[in-house]
Amino acid sequence: MHAPSRVVANEEIAGQLGLEAEQIFKSSGIRRRHWAEPQTTTSSLACVALTHALADAALAAEEVDYLLFGTMTPDRFIPGSASAVQKSAGLREIPCLDIRATCCNALYGLQLAQALVASGAARRVAVCLAEIQSAWLDLSPAGGTLSMLFGDGAAAFIVSNEPRERAFQIVDILLATDGSYVDDLGIRSPGTEFGNTRTHGAGEFASDFDARMNGQAVILQASRRMSAACQALLQRNNLTVADVRWIVPHQANANLLVGLARSLRFPSSEAGGEVVNLLEDYGNTSSASMGIALDSLRRTGRVAAGDYLLLPAFGAGFTWGAGLCRA
Amino acid sequence: MALPQGVTDFLNESAERAGAPPPSIEVDLFKTGVLDSFALIDFVTVLEEQCGIKVPDADVKPANFQTITAIERYIDTHKG
Repeated sequence: MHAPSRVVANEEIAGQLGLEAEQIFKSSGIRRRHWAEPQTTTSSLACVALTHALADAALAAEEVDYLLFGTMTPDRFIPGSASAVQKSAGLREIPCLDIRATCCNALYGLQLAQALVASGAARRVAVCLAEIQSAWLDLSPAGGTLSMLFGDGAAAFIVSNEPRERAFQIVDILLATDGSYVDDLGIRSPGTEFGNTRTHGAGEFASDFDARMNGQAVILQASRRMSAACQALLQRNNLTVADVRWIVPHQANANLLVGLARSLRFPSSEAGGEVVNLLEDYGNTSSASMGIALDSLRRTGRVAAGDYLLLPAFGAGFTWGAGLCRA
Repeated sequence: MALPQGVTDFLNESAERAGAPPPSIEVDLFKTGVLDSFALIDFVTVLEEQCGIKVPDADVKPANFQTITAIERYIDTHKG
């Protein structure tokens, strides 16, 4: 994982956003987030995370033979940013693909990587996940409740069927989408749906380039869909929530994570369960958040061999799902 | 109709967490912090379990559950 060095506390932005610092914490669980310096590219964050992941797996860059890069905040509109990672990280002339499944990018990346390895199309797949969201945020009171949430960061996985010490096994991943909610979370432009990109950004359409969120719809659907996905995933693997030691969710909002644990009847930490929550220090880093959470947990050394990890996520689309891993 | 005990318990516990007194029938549950966007989801689940009703997604909005009177009205009109 990697996060930019600049730490931005609630106190630094609350006034601009028309909010109180404590109000931000109470409604999201966030006290600070990392923001990249201007001109930093998303691919450069991904490269640092990939370098760490390769070192951790004792692999050289030339040994990667497929790259997947999940981001909502690419370096350029065209081409995808995986190309920039290929060049900067010194990868061979391998297939490089951007994926745009928003906050579910980690799950999509892992599922695709697992399938590539299983099919024999690749032996070692690098999955990079990175965001620089600070460059897009509306730091005025109009965008306050959305902009207070987001941070920048990156994570990377190496997926392979070669045995590695302390590696996690991907047991199963369940994903789903309901496209009827496309306008409830996302950014409309640039794109083909809303007219000429050269002229569309002016006047009454300027807000089409801003992030928009129907909070009530997001909270409701995220709560229900993630819980249902977790239950379905466990059921089809003949497990119950009592078999799970760690929930490592997409880090959307601390209140949402509390609700998710409650609806799953996930055991409390006293009873042996634990929800990994890094929101206080990182905010919501979208594509990168699950990878950052997983890497942070792994580095604590608290995951024991045989532990099950449940990985729920929900994002714009709406798309959602859950992953099941085993240490 | 009076609210089922489980629903009342949920609201009273939520009020306690918010530092508010147990809500009277016309108090605004959102203004007093008894409910918010996240607590509303849990509340609806409790309501469905306790009252044997199904709350459609489109109905999960503060306006339908603003006060205890509004909640009772909602239950009355949706009970089979």
